Amino acid sequence: MNKIGLALRELYRAEEELADEYVKVGERLAAEHDIWYECKRFAEECHLHADAIRPVAARYEEQLAPADDSEVGETTTAALRHKLSELLGRRPESGLLLLRSLRQLYLQAQEVSFHWLIAGQLAQATRDQELLTLVDELHRETLTQIKWLKTQAKVASPQALVVGSRS
Amino acid sequence: MRGGERTAEVWGERTPFARGGEWPARVDEYLTDEPERWVQSACVLCSNGCGLDIGVRGGRIVGVRGRAQDRVNHGRLGPKGLYGWQANNSPDRLTRPLIRRDGELREASWEEAMELIVARSQELLDQMGPLAFGFYTSGQLFSEEYYAQAKIARAGLGTPHLDGNTRLCTATAEWALIESFGCDGDPGSYTDIDLCDTLFLVGHNVAETQTVLWMRMLDRLHGPDRPKLVVVDPRPTPAAREADVWLRIRSGTNVALLNAIQHELLANGWADQTFVNEHTVGFEALEKTVSQYPPERAAEICGISAEAIREAARLIGSGERLVSTCLQGVYQSNQATAAAVQLNNVNLLRGMIGRPGCAVFQMNGQPTAENTRETGANGALPGFRNFENDAQVDELAALWNVDPLTIPHWAPPTHAMQIFRFAELGSIRFLWITCTNPAVSLPELHRIRAILEQERLFVVVSDAFLTETAQLADVVLPAAIWGEKTGTYTNADRTVHISDKAVDPPGEARSDFELLVEYAQRMDLSDKDGAPLLPWSSPQEAFEEFKRISAGRPCDYSGLSYEKLRGGSGIQWPCNEEFPDGCERLYANHEFPTDADYCEAYGHDLISGAENEPDEYKAHDPKGRAFLKAAEYIPSPEQPSDDYPFLLNTGRTVFHWHTRTKTARASELQQAAPEPWVELAPADAQRLGVADGDLVAVESARGRIEAPARSTGIREGVVFLPFHYGYWDEPERSDPNGRPRAANELTITRWDPVSKQPIFKTAAVRVERIGDGDGAARTPAISTQERLP
Repeated sequence: MNKIGLALRELYRAEEELADEYVKVGERLAAEHDIWYECKRFAEECHLHADAIRPVAARYEEQLAPADDSEVGETTTAALRHKLSELLGRRPESGLLLLRSLRQLYLQAQEVSFHWLIAGQLAQATRDQELLTLVDELHRETLTQIKWLKTQAKVASPQALVVGSRS
Repeated sequence: MRGGERTAEVWGERTPFARGGEWPARVDEYLTDEPERWVQSACVLCSNGCGLDIGVRGGRIVGVRGRAQDRVNHGRLGPKGLYGWQANNSPDRLTRPLIRRDGELREASWEEAMELIVARSQELLDQMGPLAFGFYTSGQLFSEEYYAQAKIARAGLGTPHLDGNTRLCTATAEWALIESFGCDGDPGSYTDIDLCDTLFLVGHNVAETQTVLWMRMLDRLHGPDRPKLVVVDPRPTPAAREADVWLRIRSGTNVALLNAIQHELLANGWADQTFVNEHTVGFEALEKTVSQYPPERAAEICGISAEAIREAARLIGSGERLVSTCLQGVYQSNQATAAAVQLNNVNLLRGMIGRPGCAVFQMNGQPTAENTRETGANGALPGFRNFENDAQVDELAALWNVDPLTIPHWAPPTHAMQIFRFAELGSIRFLWITCTNPAVSLPELHRIRAILEQERLFVVVSDAFLTETAQLADVVLPAAIWGEKTGTYTNADRTVHISDKAVDPPGEARSDFELLVEYAQRMDLSDKDGAPLLPWSSPQEAFEEFKRISAGRPCDYSGLSYEKLRGGSGIQWPCNEEFPDGCERLYANHEFPTDADYCEAYGHDLISGAENEPDEYKAHDPKGRAFLKAAEYIPSPEQPSDDYPFLLNTGRTVFHWHTRTKTARASELQQAAPEPWVELAPADAQRLGVADGDLVAVESARGRIEAPARSTGIREGVVFLPFHYGYWDEPERSDPNGRPRAANELTITRWDPVSKQPIFKTAAVRVERIGDGDGAARTPAISTQERLP
């Protein structure tokens, strides 16, 4: 068993799980138009990351399945969640749901970022230039996702939690 | 001139001139009677802001005349400027406040109306707090009015929810300037048109949106040393017809095209490497990104030939004085800010900025849009202050004598689409709409109407006319408009004009400035010593205060005064001790306001809109260098499909302004463009079996409209629809359930991630013939008359 390969498998798994979460949140919050759109794009980005990790992991004897991005498009459950979101989209509780969803995404994105950090360390220690280049490019994209989640949370939290709390 | 001929001769006679020559004066006027006196003003029917005088007789406006001594227009006026003033005299003007009682708007006194607004405000403030308040303003009011609104919202109530409809037209200009140069403010001067040898217009139908600016360009193009002209537009606009190279690209692909142009600039050694090294940061990342966009790749994405891209790049790369401009074809399209920033990059790579004849114009849509930006009535704090910079917020708080914590600065000021989203969710319960018509101008109208119709949302509308939005209000306040009040405003090349009161408003109508000051007083909004927050009895006092607020900031008004603005030409800011007569060009020393302590914002990731971290910015402080920011091309969110095979493009006609509240009340303008039309490429029309004038239905996933068709030289697969037409003057089918015709029934709720400007120009639609027309469609023959290959 190759420990570097295992670390890359962890990274791959975290990216794939984050992609799934982006898809779910995007559909659940489809009435928040910017969230819906960006979540879809980030889900695709995570799958691309996962796919980029596969050939490197293979070098460390870790065989990973192709990224499963089948859920990114229009599926029946997606359409259902989307519709539900539009129906519930006029209730103030949507603000709380948004915050909770952003928190979950933020935590998972941090996990991904942590694994990239580890991957970067391994790349340097093993003088693996290919992996190092990958980390340089893709970790930056994860960090941008985190910045985006923070940006959204900063806008959403006062409106969700402060309005009406005086009554 | 007394006739209506300027709707046929939109740009009037040519007065050609050579590079560096003085643009000859030509005084345009339109009078319906002989004036007894003239009152100085400037036009408010586009962002050019032409200096004019208002002719008055018997207490009524009887016409206008261009000011020959004004630097912006040298006496000229466009058709809207010449004829639009007649709306002031319209019998449709609102003259008394209206209050909704038993479901209907009924006349009321000012006392009743203001009492109701204040009672509702106080009740909400107690129950829900300041974040339940939203203000949606305009690009049509005066600077002093925006400043009053900004102070009420930011320092009085303490709500971040104040934005202008400038979000729909000019927010991307603002953010593109901030992302590249660190701060808002168009660097160039209109005199750069007089001096350039190359013009590069991207998504900028200048001949219709800014007629007088186009006259200036035309007079150069018809002069002895004609500048080269490159035009990017899917439609056969008048500028496209004059162009040396016309790139008729697929809507939504600006970034791919501009990346390819930059690719060519670098590949051919047309970049000014010395300038780039000394005055910019980010070149390596940009080089890496644009290297992925050889002309062949962009040609495929944009649907044009690689050769045309090469030829355009050659002209842009070989000129010695380049003026680049963009407008809604960029700002309301896919990847708005990313694309606008790539245009900045073109001029930065060529080192063509801050010098005579070298400029990039991030144009404004509206006449007073610049002022919402300067005064903090939209996406920033007053004086282009950075909400994330505590020192700047503290400085503002000290100037206002309020606690810094009163000024919401935990996040950017809320953008318009988010304000409507909060209203939809029910966390905003009070919405004051001034001088704008979201029930026709925002995307996806069925949703906007549903939001405004909510019982739980208290809607105040101040307007001169009973617009589609006013019809949905709880209280309607009759507003005095241009010509009936005094104030200042700033055009797209930073020229500040004064507009003096010429006549009294009709009936009981009052200026928004008066209303806002009275609202602040009745609400008892005060500073931390208990003094009134808006202690002004005239706009001039507010102007004097704004001079102090703006002092030391890039938009420095401190050297201006009402007196200085009277008598001569408008004056460009900054105007201060260093530039007592105004400043023609920003960044003449190639120092940009990017310093971490001074910049207006720390910028964004251009693709997602994620905000850069302040610490990160400070760690890489560019200290006066401009940013070269790269962006990958990302396809539009809504692509044509089997169900919806066409791309919808919406836009303006030269004869109307916004939702026609004023221009439809000037008979010359209304007759020139009485109803909407659908532009189709001849091949598409043929496939659909549509002849000119036939009635067609255009449908998207969100709605449907009907209008007569007209085939033009528009790109195949793209259909165009003017956005001006709503329902107020459709008595027999006065609502969207009758015969819908507002373009925004079709548009998508999606905005640019950085500027938050809605993407009006990207929706997938289908078109079908539904009936015979009555002969030729009554469409204006400006962009539609000539068919090009």
